[in-house]
This record gives sequence, structure tokens and C-alpha cells, in this order.
Amino acid sequence: MKLIAYHRPAALAEARHLLRELGAAAMPLAGCTSHSFVKGDEERIGVDLAKIGFDTIERADGGFIVGANARVADLQAHRAPGWVLDRVALRFVSQPVRNMTTLGGNIARIFPWNDFPVALLALNATVTIAGEEDRQLPADIYFDGQPARHFKAGDILIRVFVPDVGAGCGFAYRKDTLVSMAFSRLTAAVWLQREGKTIRDARIALGAAVPLPLRLELVEEAVVGKVYSAELIADAMERQIAALRWRSSDAFSEEYVQQLARAHVPDALEEAFRAAGGGRK
Amino acid sequence: MNIAFTLNGKPQELTISPNEKLTEALRRLGVYSVKTGCNEGACGSCVVNVNGRAVKSCLMYAAQVDGGCVETVEFIGSLDNPHPIQSALVEEGAVQCGFCMGGLIMSAKAVFDKNPSPTDEELAIHLDGHLCRCTGYEKIQSALRKVSSGAAS
Amino acid sequence: MKKNFNVVNKSVRKIDSLSLITGKPMFVGDLKPADALVVKMLWSPHAHARIVSLDASAAEKMPGVHAVLHHGNVPRVLHTTAGQGFPEPSPYDSVMFDNKVRHVGDRVAAVAAETAEQAAAALKAIKVVYEELPAVMSIEDAMKPGAPIIHDEPDAHAAIPVPYEPERNLAARVAMDVGDLEAGLKASDVVLDREYYTDYAQHCPIEPHVAMAQIAVDGRIVITTSTQVPFHVRRIVAQVLQIPVRRIRVIKPRIGGGFGAKQEVLLESVVALFALRTGRAVYWKYTREEEFVSSRTRHPEKMRVRVGAGKDGKIRAIGLDCISNSGAYGAHALTVVCNSGSKILPLYRSDIIHFVGESVYTNLPVGGAYRGYGATQSSFAIDCHMDELAEQLGMDSLEFRRINTVRSGETSPVFRALGEGKAGVEQSVGSCELERCMKLGAKEIGWKRRGRWQDKTGRFRRGIGMAALMQGSSIPEIDMGAVSLKINDDGSFNMLMGATDIGTGSDTVLAQIAAETLGCDLDKLIVYSSDTDMTPFDVGAYASSTTYLTGMAVKNTAEKVVKQMKDVAAAMMECSAKDISLSDNKAHGPGGRSVTFSEIALRALYGTDQFQIGAISSAISHKSPSPFSAHFAEVEVDTQTGKVSVLRYVAAVDCGTAINPKLSEGQTEGGVLNGISYALTEEYRFSPKGRMLNSSFLHYKIMTMRDKPEIKTILVPSYEKTGPYGAKSVSEICINGPMPSIANAIYNAVGVRMRSSPFTPERVWRAMKEQGRI
Repeated sequence: MKLIAYHRPAALAEARHLLRELGAAAMPLAGCTSHSFVKGDEERIGVDLAKIGFDTIERADGGFIVGANARVADLQAHRAPGWVLDRVALRFVSQPVRNMTTLGGNIARIFPWNDFPVALLALNATVTIAGEEDRQLPADIYFDGQPARHFKAGDILIRVFVPDVGAGCGFAYRKDTLVSMAFSRLTAAVWLQREGKTIRDARIALGAAVPLPLRLELVEEAVVGKVYSAELIADAMERQIAALRWRSSDAFSEEYVQQLARAHVPDALEEAFRAAGGGRK
Repeated sequence: MNIAFTLNGKPQELTISPNEKLTEALRRLGVYSVKTGCNEGACGSCVVNVNGRAVKSCLMYAAQVDGGCVETVEFIGSLDNPHPIQSALVEEGAVQCGFCMGGLIMSAKAVFDKNPSPTDEELAIHLDGHLCRCTGYEKIQSALRKVSSGAAS
Repeated sequence: MKKNFNVVNKSVRKIDSLSLITGKPMFVGDLKPADALVVKMLWSPHAHARIVSLDASAAEKMPGVHAVLHHGNVPRVLHTTAGQGFPEPSPYDSVMFDNKVRHVGDRVAAVAAETAEQAAAALKAIKVVYEELPAVMSIEDAMKPGAPIIHDEPDAHAAIPVPYEPERNLAARVAMDVGDLEAGLKASDVVLDREYYTDYAQHCPIEPHVAMAQIAVDGRIVITTSTQVPFHVRRIVAQVLQIPVRRIRVIKPRIGGGFGAKQEVLLESVVALFALRTGRAVYWKYTREEEFVSSRTRHPEKMRVRVGAGKDGKIRAIGLDCISNSGAYGAHALTVVCNSGSKILPLYRSDIIHFVGESVYTNLPVGGAYRGYGATQSSFAIDCHMDELAEQLGMDSLEFRRINTVRSGETSPVFRALGEGKAGVEQSVGSCELERCMKLGAKEIGWKRRGRWQDKTGRFRRGIGMAALMQGSSIPEIDMGAVSLKINDDGSFNMLMGATDIGTGSDTVLAQIAAETLGCDLDKLIVYSSDTDMTPFDVGAYASSTTYLTGMAVKNTAEKVVKQMKDVAAAMMECSAKDISLSDNKAHGPGGRSVTFSEIALRALYGTDQFQIGAISSAISHKSPSPFSAHFAEVEVDTQTGKVSVLRYVAAVDCGTAINPKLSEGQTEGGVLNGISYALTEEYRFSPKGRMLNSSFLHYKIMTMRDKPEIKTILVPSYEKTGPYGAKSVSEICINGPMPSIANAIYNAVGVRMRSSPFTPERVWRAMKEQGRI
């Protein structure tokens, strides 16, 4: 990609107008950190969304409203009861990139290794897209396939509502990489609600090891409403592994990422279960 | 297109192409501490501080700093009056080839500007965008530990 | 034997360090004139192909293009790109551009244009028709009868009388036998026969290769380049361009890391020829991808180790058979594989020693010099082998090493047998504190708590492993370093040296040696190094030679200057020169009298019987004293994922007198972390057609501060009588330890022997699974 012009609109309306006018020639720019993955010499017009606002993290009823322009470093630094995305942010690429990448940028287009889609799926986040009128899409719908299909010309992702991890709930996150700064081989996030020894509800999401982030529905079905049991989870995990299409690359085999799932998902479930019982929220 | 920004404390105007990355623009201005080691955001030799945050200038378009404030290692200390981070690195023998250091120091400075006494772990997290092949980071860590504890001059 | 030093053995500031980190323009890229032409290279997309036709006429007419180079318009001069002493032991199998390509990323044609974009556009306009040839993708394939011949050109040859048989893809061969290995093994109580393999790796200097050529006002070519070997660059460029050496000046500014990769003369002849043809300044810098694919690598090696020992735990016979993959060209082919024997076999005492080293061509990236230089590969094989042998003998492997490793005063037939392209040099081991290194390192890591893998349970299991190491200091009777030194009015000295500081701190270390000898403060030394017009010769920064060898040259030179200064001071103080001593920037005479160095200089320059106090001198070595080291790693293995984390690393090093302890520690720590990622995370992945799939820092992983374990360096002093103030080398040995000590630690944790590198999580997991450990 080659930028032949650059615009930096100062407000949402102006940005929407520009994107509509430019159509396919426009390249919306957020943190710019994944642009090196856009290969080729195609000429595009950059529309930098950095100055249109939507860069704060605010407390709301039952959760947090995170502006799409909030940087990963802002998520990393944020502290509040029920806020867990700092843990996800902490494993994201490297600090200078965390200082640049925005939450919106990370979820507007999904590469297999993207981190936040996995966490937001588990947390049951809601994505707000500004169009002719604002639309709110639950994570399950937003992340079901490439998000591009939710956007019409001029639409801009502006906010993500992230439910807090409240009392009786727990969250755990795993990202398996060769070194700290490396593409993920497997990313797993677990949100779980607990009542005594029973798992009342759970959302378990997986990424990197599969072509697009998804929820481990077989495992969820198997554990929800049941007393926590490592055997039950292990058994469900095997059925889930058999049911999914796994990704491989020159760096790892399908068999290996399946093993990573076997190792990390139950581990994350256990951590979330413990956390829900009064440990870390 | 033309941009105007603050470069190392002074107003700077520059004509750029929209596709020009900040690394190239800064080197064109003679800011040679900004190095290219990979041009894909992995090595950290190009890190500069933009509006107080350490960023990879090879990933950033020069256009994005219009109206902003850019600082590089040239600004923070000199031969006669080095920044405490620079002094500590020199005293600890942490500078081998030095190619990665301009960027690494800017990341370190961004940490210390916010928190004068970060822990080893906080420092490692904030410097995880930098590759150094010479030192094994051991002496860099001990130098920054000195700055953190106030032992550096 | 002087041991109370004033400047030496002190952790003084590295003299260039503050300039380096205040952003001064000190690297090649910082010195580029704004109007320099930019070079881009068209690289081969094929692993093995003949160029049937190449048409650059359209490219030559493209906007901004000033010249195109290809096999049709450059002189065909067979040479080696290996920057070694002359005549080089590496085969003459390279030309600037050939009508055949031998690996993906081999050169096809180069363009020099006003801008990088214009050069890139011109590359696309070069029409090349290839005839693809069957390619050789492994050591095994290279050696098969009837294998495709990679160097079938009739003019490839060896420059010295060494085995070279390109018709069977053999780039080099070296062998030695002392006693009868088979008989020795038969007579042993315990015999172990194993194969090991180490894979490709790259040096990853953060500054890639970069070079610039300019035509000076007198028509000479000035090459400013990121090199470890400026004098070899001058010689090889002269050879390739067929111009006299006197027409070339090579300047080495500051270098952004080398580690051996920049002991290769790759870019310089291209920029020089472009400069000659265009009259313009010409600049070429590798991209990171080019650095991986078209620079140099660590030779992969396949090694068979056979060792027999008696029940008493003493080694009876050692056999080592190494085959290295030299890639498409034979750069350092002979000497790297030779060092796999010569730098390791003397470490373990044995009456019977067998060694064969061979190097074969393949259609893969080219091997080269890489810190450790063959010893890295064989250290892995030998020290893993010794660990296993000790286990079979029922001995603690530390104790096994203690009773079998070489000691001061002993010799080895290997020293005499294996030289670099010729017989070696007989020598006995001088200073050696290996036993103390092992003792101190074992204590620091907590060797006694390592336990047995059979007793370890749980998902995360810990283990401790070790390795014993040696290297050399310079290539005896081959390497030479030279220094000139002169005094200035104020009692300061200009010291000019060919020695090549590539970030290691050699300018500082050598200045310390000079200041110690002269009796002055370090800041009185103005150091200028590595400029072929200005400084005397030096072979360059390789073979762990600079501190030891150029250090001796510095001392020799400074001693001559001291003598001249004493004579002047004697005249000034009207006493005998032998009653004078130099210290504190003064000459001290009898009766408490003294004159300052400045006063001496002023008299010599302006006063009576004027002359320039100054000297030029050089040094060669007749031995290559080994530094010794014991390394210890503690690891934790995740039995579910196979991930190996190094928790703590201890390196105890005997480098003689550490001229600058902090810089010696820095060499050790840098080498260790490089070795750790070589063992665990660095790998070259290829497509079936020989294209590297992970040629970027995004996919080829070296470690950051967040990944590093604590690395504890213990400098164990000894005094090497032949070295300057007792010094030996320290720069290479440290990279050899992590792979064997981590492999041994993995075994101690989970009971699998990793005999093939790197130990990536998936491989460790598979090994545990296959061997029933999980």
C-alpha cells in the first residue's frame, strides 16, 4: 500500500463524510501498526481517525465504555474494579506498539493472531458502529467472520462496551508465544460466573490456533450448570478439539496447537473459576 | 504536503510525501539517532517519543506528527550534560555497538518521566519493543536499576 | 608478572559510549551524502538455475537509473567473499555476478539509481530467463552419488593446497587421527555413539550490512563500510575490480554489531564498481530480509560423536565427525568445520583422537563466520555427549568433566594437527582456571540440588545442566595486528590501529593497555582505528584476536615510545634513562625530580635535538591461548506445551586478566543470550524450493529484555604469560555454552536428550511424547 494523500478529520462527521466520498480509495488509519501487513503497491488515501475523539475509558452501568481510539497502552494502564483488559494489553506486541495501536484498529480487521477479539468475545462486549445511525453489535455477531461486512462506506467503529467482571465472576487470559514479542500460536480467554462449586455461566473464546476467533461452545455447554471438574473439562476439550478446524503454519502443526488448547484452556478455566470464588476479579 | 511540529524543543516545518514514514523524515532532518534495523516495527532502533509516548517511527507516517511534539535522544542529553539514563548506561558498560540505544533510551525515558522508580519487571515490560544483540540486556538492566533507585548521577 | 595495574583491569568508561548514545552521526548510514545513488539488488527467486538470458536495456533507460550491473558487464574474477588472511583458506568459488544462481537470494543484477523507489522500479524492468536446475536441499542430498553439481564452473578452485572437490559438492575437508579410534573404543568399558545436528542461525546485528563508495578528488575510491575486516575489504575489492590496492581507501566508522557476519566482503565491491562507473557516491544497505537470506549464517552441522571411557571415568578415545552445510558458496567452509575440531577436542584429555571435518555445498543460504566459529556447533555435540556418557558411567557429570578436562601445562596433539588451511602450531596450555570456573559456577547455580529427572513430577519440571568450554585467542602464526603511537604537545598520544572495534570496546581496551604501558591517564589516548589510509594493518575483528594480539602490538609500540620518552626525560633531568620510571603522566627521576609528559613532548617537538616521539610496531602470536569457561543453566520445562524457560544462567569465565571487567562481562552476557535464543527460538524455515519463510524479526525470534533470564557472570582471573598484562580472549567462547547446558538441563528436568537444535516447544513436546515421558 502506498499513501498518495493524507487527511486527518477533526470530527466524526467529517471523517464519515471523507470515507463516503473517497469510497474504496480510502484507507482508514487508526494506530497504523498493522499497515506493514498490507502488501503491494496499491495507492490509497489515508484517513487518519486519531483526532475524532473516542479515546477515553469511562465507567458505565455494568461495565466500561472504551473509545475505539483508546490505545492499548491506555487499556494497559487503566485500573478499576472489574476491569481486566489490562492483562490482555500487557501481552500485546511491545510497548511502543501498545502506545500506538488502538482498540478499534485491532478489531476493525481481524488477522488470525489478533488478541482483543478473543478477549472481547469471552467478555461479551458490544461494539458500536457510527453510521447513518449508531448500531450496536454484540461480540458474537460482530466477530462472526470478518467485521468488514458490518461496515458500509463511511461507517466508523467508535466504541466498545466491555462488561465488568463482577462479583462471583472470573476472567483468565492465555497467550502462547515463542518469546514475549511474537505472534500468538494460541490465545484463550475465559469469562466465568460461579455459584459455590458450580459454574453458572461461561464464555470461552479461542484465537490464533483457529482461522478466526470463536467460542468453544462444546466446552461451554459441557461445563455450564455443572460442578467444576477437571475431568469434565478435559473430556469436553477433547470433543471440542475433534470438532474444530485448526490452523497450522510453517512454525507449528495442527497437532501442536491442539495440544496447546489442551494445556491452556483448562488451565484458564481453572484460574477463572478460582478468581470467581473471591480471588482476582 | 507540509507539516509543522515541535522537534526536540524547536518548531519545525517540513515538506513530506504522504507515504513518508517518520523515520525517513527525521533522518532527512539530520536526526541520525533514529535508526532503521528492520523497518517493520520489530527492532525498536527507530523509537522516538511523540507527545511523551515512545513509538516506532518506522510504523508511523510523518504526517501523523503534524501539530505534535517529537523528541529524540539528541534532545535529552549531550556529551557535557548527559541525561541520567545516558550516564548510567555509560558507567555500567551497557553501551556496546550503540545502534539500538537511541531508541531504547527514549523508551526508558518515557517510563522514568511517568514513574521515577520503576521495578525491573516494569522496565522489562516497557523495553520489550527493543532488540539488542550485543549486551544480553544485563548491563542495561543494571544501569536502569541505578536510575530507578536514584543511585545514578 | 605485573598484577597491580593502574588502568588495566579497571572498568573504565568505554571511550565512544557517550557519543554513541547522544545521537552523534557515527554509522555508515549517518555519513551518506544526500545525493548518493541508492543500490537495489535483483535476487534469485530460484534455488538453482542457469541464467539463459538477461536483458537490462529497459531498466538502464528508466528514470533516475545510472547503471545496472550483471554478469554480462562486470569482470569475472573468481574470489572468496570470506574476509580472511591471504591467500584465503576458503575456496575461490564466487564472482561478483554469475550466469548461474545457486540459492534463493543469490545475486542476479544490481541497479544504482537516484532513489530507492526508482531502483526498485528498474529491477522490475530487468528481463531474466532462467533454466531451473535440480536443487540440493540438505547435507545428505549434497553427498548422494549423482547429486546436482552446484559449482560446475571450471574456474572454481582452492587458493591453497587443501582438498576441494566441487564435482561432488565438497567445499572442504580436513582430518586427523592420533591412535586408532576403533581399537580405543573396543578397549573402553563404556562407549557412546550419537549423532547431533545444529541448524541455521543468523547473527542479527541490529544494523544490517551497509556500505558506501565515493570517488575522492584524486580519483581514488573511498569505501565507508560496516565491516569487521577493513584491510581484507581493500584487498578483495582490489582483486574483484582488478585495480591496484593503492586506489582504494577503506574507512570503518562505528559498526552496529557484526558477530562474524561482517567478516564478509559482500557489498563493498558492488558500491565501488558503481562509483567507478558513475562517478557518484553510491550507497547500499541491506534490508532485514536481505540480511537473513543474502548475508551469511551459522553453518548447520551434522556431527557424529563417539567416545569411549574406562570404568574409572577416564576418557580413552574420542571421535568427532562433522559435516557442515556451507550453503551455496564455501565462505569459511574449511576453517569453520576445522574449528569444530580444533577448538573443542583439546578440552577433553584423550590419547586417541579422531576427527574428520567436511563441508558440502547445498542450494541454501551461505554459511560464514559467526561468533564461536564451528566451536559453537561441536560444543553442543561434545558436551551433551559427555553428559550422557557420565550418566552411563554412573558419575556426576561435573565430576566427570573435572577429571577429564585439560589443565595448565598439558598439551594436545590437536593443536599441532589442526591449523587453518595448514598444520597447526604446537602449544601447551598456559593459564587455565577451568576447574575453578566449574567449582564457582556449580556453587552459584546450586548444582547439588539438581536431582534426577526420574524423581520430578508435576506439569512444570526444573533441571540444571552444564557445559565446559574452550576457544582460542587469535590464529597463531597467521594473524597480525599493528599500531602506531605518537606524542602531542600536551602529553597526549594519537594511537592509530588497524584493529576493528565493532561495538566490542576494543578501542577502549587497547587504549587501556597503552595507558598502562605509558604510565598516563586513559584520556590522554586519542584512538583512531581502521582506516586503511591512516592506520597500520590489522587482520580485523575475528578469531578472538584483538585484545590478545593487537593488545600485544599496542604494548610493543608503547614500550618503544616509553624508551624514547625516557631518553628525552633523562636529558632533561641530566640522569640515566634507566633510573627513570613513567607514571601519573610524568617521568620520575632520581631524587624526587620529575618532568611531565607534556614537558617531554615540548622538548622533543620544539626544544633541543627535536624528533617525533613515536613508534609503529606489530605483533603476531605463536600460540592461541584458550579462554576457558563453565556454563550452567537452570530451566523449567512445561511438560504440557514443551516450552523451555531458562530461569537462571551462570557463566564462569577464565579470560586471563580482564582488561576491562565490565566490558568482559558484557561480552559474556551478550554471547550467552545470543546462545540461549540460538538454542531455543531461532530457526530458519524453508519452503521445499529453498525459500526462507521467516526472514524477518517478526518471525525469526531473538529475545528481548522481557525474555531474558538473569545472567550471572563470574570472571575467574588467571594470568596468561604470553598475553598483554595476562589477557586472553573473551568474545566468542560465551556463545558456545547455552545450547549444551540447556540441552543437559532439559534432560535433567524431563529425561529427554535433545540432539537436534533448536529446542522449540513443539520439538521438546514431541520428544517427550515419543519417549514416553508424558
